[in-house]
Amino acid sequence: MGSKIITFVLGGREVEVMVKPMTTLQAVLRYQLGYTAVKEGCRQGGCGSCTVLVEGEPMMSCLLPVEDVAGMHVTTLEAITPADGLDRVQQAFLEHGAFQCGYCTPGMIVVSKALLGHNPRPTRQEIVDAFAGNICRCTGYEPIIAAVEGAARASASKAAQPG
Amino acid sequence: MTVLEYLVPRSLPEAIGLLERHGPELLVMAGGTVAMPLINEGISLPERVMSLRSAGLTSIEQRGDVLSIGAAATLTQLVAQDGVALLSEAARNTASWSIRNMGTVGGNLFTPPPGGDVAVALLALDARVRLSGPHGERVLPLADFYTGFMTNALAADELLVEIYVPTAVGETAFIKFGRKHANTPAVVTVAIALQRRDGRISAARIALGAAGPHPIRAARAEAAIVGSALESGVIERAADTAAGECRPFRDAIATEWYRRRMVGVFVRRALEKVVEQEQDDVGEGE
Repeated sequence: MGSKIITFVLGGREVEVMVKPMTTLQAVLRYQLGYTAVKEGCRQGGCGSCTVLVEGEPMMSCLLPVEDVAGMHVTTLEAITPADGLDRVQQAFLEHGAFQCGYCTPGMIVVSKALLGHNPRPTRQEIVDAFAGNICRCTGYEPIIAAVEGAARASASKAAQPG
Repeated sequence: MTVLEYLVPRSLPEAIGLLERHGPELLVMAGGTVAMPLINEGISLPERVMSLRSAGLTSIEQRGDVLSIGAAATLTQLVAQDGVALLSEAARNTASWSIRNMGTVGGNLFTPPPGGDVAVALLALDARVRLSGPHGERVLPLADFYTGFMTNALAADELLVEIYVPTAVGETAFIKFGRKHANTPAVVTVAIALQRRDGRISAARIALGAAGPHPIRAARAEAAIVGSALESGVIERAADTAAGECRPFRDAIATEWYRRRMVGVFVRRALEKVVEQEQDDVGEGE
């Protein structure tokens, strides 16, 4: 039972990888494809540092055999980051000092993007609930919550502008 | 990584065929949120793993007065359904968003305590499970599915494929008590479903999680409230009875002594919650 070729769509681009059975999406992204925003944290689904979007929904890539995303759309922080500058959520994290060591930040931003996609004006409690699976050991979470609130406000005021 | 083969059947018959061919050594996995951490750590070393994620078992639909839940429906789907409020509440209180997007309702029934909060709600709701194998199917009450710590009534060639929940649930309450508010193993989980006739409890189910080798019913506490109008003395007695009859365990989360005490506290609070909800309903009706 040897390796298999798996094809999926990564950040809008089709990729093909050769993998041994049950190689995790996390390992494929980070070690085969060089997407280093995807951290190898606990490998237990407990820390959230490997969070990616699969078909737009956050999942723990460390718990996901890559075979299970065959043909699907996978989004990492790399795809969220525009070619020039920063995404609005990234900008908000920067303005609110929402990271210190930065290890949890890719997962936090990926979850924030998914949350704001579902719910453009989340309440504080909804933000807190969304981050229940993402551990940050530096910031105490408050600047992260403030950043998401800030990004939601920035989107709302932009949407309110005429033309 | 020692896995030789990862099998991803596209239908239930294909899945049953693969299980029959490979036998009990085949590790059956759905969302992977319990199995994958063990595989990643090298604690579990299966040679062959079968995923049920793509086997067409993911629908949740109401058929008459029964909610039919595919075993591989995710906990996120369970949060979203509006047929049975107790199930949404239990699912919302389980794990984290990313894990709920992966973890399945069927998988929750195989999650060892103190995990498996949805299973506690399903037990309170008198859910039944459909088991399917090469020689046919059978439906069991969930209460008969559990046989011990991480053991169950599944035959070696059977899969748990669907869960049936009656939607006429009566009054319900769910409380999960953990060491933090979210994404945490339970100290104790309590799910209650009660029927009332002429103001008196006519049927009661009190299910406890992290208070035994699998989700259990507090049968003596249930008997203590049937026939009553949930007077405060009755609630106190039922809570003490539940604390006495449960079979808690010690782990990194809590001691056996503490869990037993908390069973008493949270059975009482869950019953008080039912009373409060009923009073609110009466108040709104006036």
